[in-house]
Amino acid sequence: MLSCLSMGVGEIILTVACAAIVVGVIVGVIIRKKKGKGACCDECGGNCPHCAANRNKNK
Amino acid sequence: MKRFALAGNPNCGKTTLFNSLTGATAHVGNWPGVTVDKRDGVYKKCAEPVAIVDLPGIYSLSPYTPEEVIARNYILDEKPDCVINIVDATNLERNLYLTTQILEMDVPVVIALNMMDAVERQGDKIDSKELEKRLGVPVIKISALKEQGLAELMDKAFNESKKQRHGSTVLQDTPLAHLIGDVRIALSGQNVGNPLFHAIKLVEGDELEVSMHKETLPMVEEFKETFEDETFGNDFEALVADGRYKYISKYFAPVLTRKSKEKFVSTRSDRADKVLTNRWAGIPIFLVILFLIFHLTFSENFLFISTFAEWAGNPLPSLGDLGLLTEEGDPINYGVRWLATIYDGTIYSPGVIVNNIWNDMMVGELFGWIQGLIEGSGMEAWAVGLLNNGIIEGLGAVLSFLPPILTLFLFFSILEDSGYMARIAFILDRMFRRFGLSGRSFLPMIMGFGCSVPAMINTRTLADDKERTATVRVIPFFSCGAKLPILTAVAGAIILHFTNGNGSADLITYAMYLLGIVVAIVSVLLMRATTLKGETPPFIMELPAYHAPQFKNLMAHLWDKTKHFVKKAFTIILASTILIWVLSHFSFNWKLLDDEQINESILASVSMLFQPLFTPLGFGSQLGEYGWVFVVAAVAGLIAKENVISTFATLGACLMAVLNVADLGGITVDAIYADDSGISAVVAMIAATNITVPGLISFIAFNMTTIPCFAAVGTAKSELGNKKRFNWTLVFWVVASYLVGAIVYTIGSWWWTLFIWLAVVAGVTCLIVLYNKGKIKIKLPKRASR
Repeated sequence: MLSCLSMGVGEIILTVACAAIVVGVIVGVIIRKKKGKGACCDECGGNCPHCAANRNKNK
Repeated sequence: MKRFALAGNPNCGKTTLFNSLTGATAHVGNWPGVTVDKRDGVYKKCAEPVAIVDLPGIYSLSPYTPEEVIARNYILDEKPDCVINIVDATNLERNLYLTTQILEMDVPVVIALNMMDAVERQGDKIDSKELEKRLGVPVIKISALKEQGLAELMDKAFNESKKQRHGSTVLQDTPLAHLIGDVRIALSGQNVGNPLFHAIKLVEGDELEVSMHKETLPMVEEFKETFEDETFGNDFEALVADGRYKYISKYFAPVLTRKSKEKFVSTRSDRADKVLTNRWAGIPIFLVILFLIFHLTFSENFLFISTFAEWAGNPLPSLGDLGLLTEEGDPINYGVRWLATIYDGTIYSPGVIVNNIWNDMMVGELFGWIQGLIEGSGMEAWAVGLLNNGIIEGLGAVLSFLPPILTLFLFFSILEDSGYMARIAFILDRMFRRFGLSGRSFLPMIMGFGCSVPAMINTRTLADDKERTATVRVIPFFSCGAKLPILTAVAGAIILHFTNGNGSADLITYAMYLLGIVVAIVSVLLMRATTLKGETPPFIMELPAYHAPQFKNLMAHLWDKTKHFVKKAFTIILASTILIWVLSHFSFNWKLLDDEQINESILASVSMLFQPLFTPLGFGSQLGEYGWVFVVAAVAGLIAKENVISTFATLGACLMAVLNVADLGGITVDAIYADDSGISAVVAMIAATNITVPGLISFIAFNMTTIPCFAAVGTAKSELGNKKRFNWTLVFWVVASYLVGAIVYTIGSWWWTLFIWLAVVAGVTCLIVLYNKGKIKIKLPKRASR
């Protein structure tokens, strides 16, 4: 089990940070998808008019 | 907040004006159709902030294309406080055709005469005061590019927005004037907004108006039955267009005074076009330009200088020959390190120099220093491994590809901004037509070399639905920037491992780009002959004048690209790298594994299940127990193609431990850590799996043609607008990549299978021909309509 890992303060911070990054990115992707921005590539500076979310905003 | 809409013909400078007014960095290109949807920003220098809406370029307000519908609906439904109609002063008459339609709406209008600097350069003059009098709305001379006249334009628009304006028409002298007047009164009686505009469109027979005003339509139909024009019969659309153009030539065109009295004056662009769009020379010139771009980006033998020197019997000395390296092969001092980024027995191309500086002097140094700090921090071995071999290696591998991607993108931006890209569409039209596409499809395809997402969106400029679907499906075959690292890492490893460094990795890269183009062509041919059959629409595109690329535009393009790349590296790729490291270093019972135990990991166990699927492609079961690493890399690429290279970096280092060799033909574990190009990691993967060259080429081909990244898949879904069509597109990508990989692998491994594949192709072609002639019948699933 995970207890096989020796954990000091640094290791704990690293584990928490890595978990936060992975969970954060996954949650971010889900939120973007829910907002209709799943297909947004940010190529145009993050204000892509082609994103469904922006299209709805402009309507 | 007041809202001003920018409307005008394609490529008249709307987006340049939008960027100048709002400080935005929206994509600007010197060809018609760059903007396919509206976008907004804020202008802050008026008495109060004003929202600016950049509408797509249109030739008329008739609903022929999606852009025309977007622009028309915006002005009619959103009712902006003022429409700024940008008119390309170098093409006055044609641009005023749209103006005559905008003037028919009940909205304040200001005319911005753009590109006045170009008109004055030609020695021509436009009497803007006279034009203003004749149009009945303010006319302001501007140069959006040089930001001249913008304050005056905005002040005038701001003042106009406070007034009420009723539509006016130039059709009052035509035989339809009476009918238009009657329909207008009828529509006003029904409380329809913009009655004049709707009346004229209804008389034209505009399909949107016909469906919207069914009660008033009989009035027009009745008139049509009794009316017959000598030239146009009762084609009212043509009659209206003719009426507009006659009025423009008679009343508006005289405000332009040309320096030369000759009807046609050959400009510099015309003279350049005689060569660049020449029937015979056009395509060879384009291929040479394409080769030069790749040479300047990737070649380590700039302009083949070292080859020529060798032929002349005076080969250029290497740094070692000059005594500038230590016995270990390191530069003797810092100055030599810099010199080594430019020269080492051969002069590097600009792209390679930028790459060397970035990787050797900047990212390499920084990451090396961080890795040293981590190693000396006293953290546990697993934590050091995760940070150094997982995160930093993975990120370093991805970030190291920023320079070649930006260099390639810069060259394409120069081609686009100069106006040459539009010419390529024109010269390729004849060839494309044979494949069932028009030259216009070329522009989204070439954008695909940068990123598939904007390329797919740009297919909106294609009027034909089936042509559009076919184009969206083949765009991922045009290798995007994110696929470049896969190409260079695998090609570099092939040369290093199989030919001891003799040969050209650039040639393999170039060939793979060409393979993508060939697969796209074959796919389009197949689709247009079977499921997406249809007439190819005529290709009509206005060729823009050539101009020197704008530094500001180029930098804006590069900045956007960099921002996008870095953001992706520190989010989705970072998370994927962590996940892959964890999955490759833990077993199912959650036990931490050493590098050499990688085969017991969760990642290995799952990937091994799928490994046999890839056997026909040369990177499946035949690679033995470690062959799954290629499967993992390919699957990781479905999230983002950059993931492939970061996966190489993570797994390559583990495989060195598995191989249990200190030195693999000059490659060590340290070398893998130090090499951000991924080449050393791939060499380790080759040594561990004994994959063949055809297997490796098949791996690249599969990655280039398979389902693109998440973002591109999402875009395809929204652009195709139909679930069934989208699902078939996914199936198409999977089948195409599998077939291409299998063909490459089998022909590469057993040359005689070429004849089998040729026989299959001939058989399929015969079947298609017979099917199209109705000789055989196949029950195909019903095609969904948009």
